[in-house]
Amino acid sequence: MYLKPKCHVVDLGMIEYQKSLDLQKKIVKKVIDGEVSDTLITCQHPHVITLSRLAKKENILVSCEELKKLGVGICWTDRGGDVTYHGPGQIVLYPIFNLKEDKKDLHIFLRNLEEVVIRALRNNFGLNAYRKSGLTGVWVGPYKVASIGIGVSHWVTYHGLSLNVRTDKKFYNLIKPCGLPDVKIASINDFFDDDVSLETVRLMLLKSIQDIFECHLN
Amino acid sequence: MIKVYLPELGENITKATVSYWYFEEGMSVVEGNDLVEMTTDKATFNVPAPCSGAIVEIMAHEGDVVEVGSVLATIEEETGGNSPAEGEGV
Repeated sequence: MYLKPKCHVVDLGMIEYQKSLDLQKKIVKKVIDGEVSDTLITCQHPHVITLSRLAKKENILVSCEELKKLGVGICWTDRGGDVTYHGPGQIVLYPIFNLKEDKKDLHIFLRNLEEVVIRALRNNFGLNAYRKSGLTGVWVGPYKVASIGIGVSHWVTYHGLSLNVRTDKKFYNLIKPCGLPDVKIASINDFFDDDVSLETVRLMLLKSIQDIFECHLN
Repeated sequence: MIKVYLPELGENITKATVSYWYFEEGMSVVEGNDLVEMTTDKATFNVPAPCSGAIVEIMAHEGDVVEVGSVLATIEEETGGNSPAEGEGV
């Protein structure tokens, strides 16, 4: 368990993917240099498809022209994983945490990020959220609801997780999510009759981060 | 000559793919520079330069899958500078 006594939370609201990445990198440098403490960014992105350096282009299933017509951007990025989609109705968390002070273990960090979502969904919504052995992410029933991909520099993490709350899932038809075949996507909203508020879920995730990483958010 | 190793990345992580070299052979690096990006299933990890100097040889190239503990490159250490022990840096 990583002990993080203090962690700043910054809610960026709706922000372009690239802008949020630029900001993350600035913060990563400051955390590496010891100028700021760990920071957790929460935000949403306008429609965008992001690819890791090792992603296969064929995992985008439509042409660039079609994406443009739909108002969906494309960004190559430096996180792990393959291809994913971000868009309105999806909460994104970017934990910029220094793992140097504790156990340097990417496997444990990824499992802890999954646990953040699992506990938030189980404790607050009664959903039987779970992880799949050998894969990274969170599922409810046969549906993947959260995706995770991180980057690490000098043992400081960036990128993070996205959770579909009220996501327009038709945008996932544009890609082969995570490069995996037959991935079924769902949003938290799909499991309930009443609308689920994004802000409610965001606050639940923050509480869960606080519990799992034993940190004090401010 | 300082060897740059792929460090331990965590439980059950035994190998990683070289996804991006920030430098080429012959280029100068400063200790702590991100040298090479390694990718596991869901994480990228930047291996920093363990010392300042010139990259002599890149042993693991983009797309190669390498095991933890493998040598990724060698660096001719800049004379007159302080450097950590061989392979340290993460």
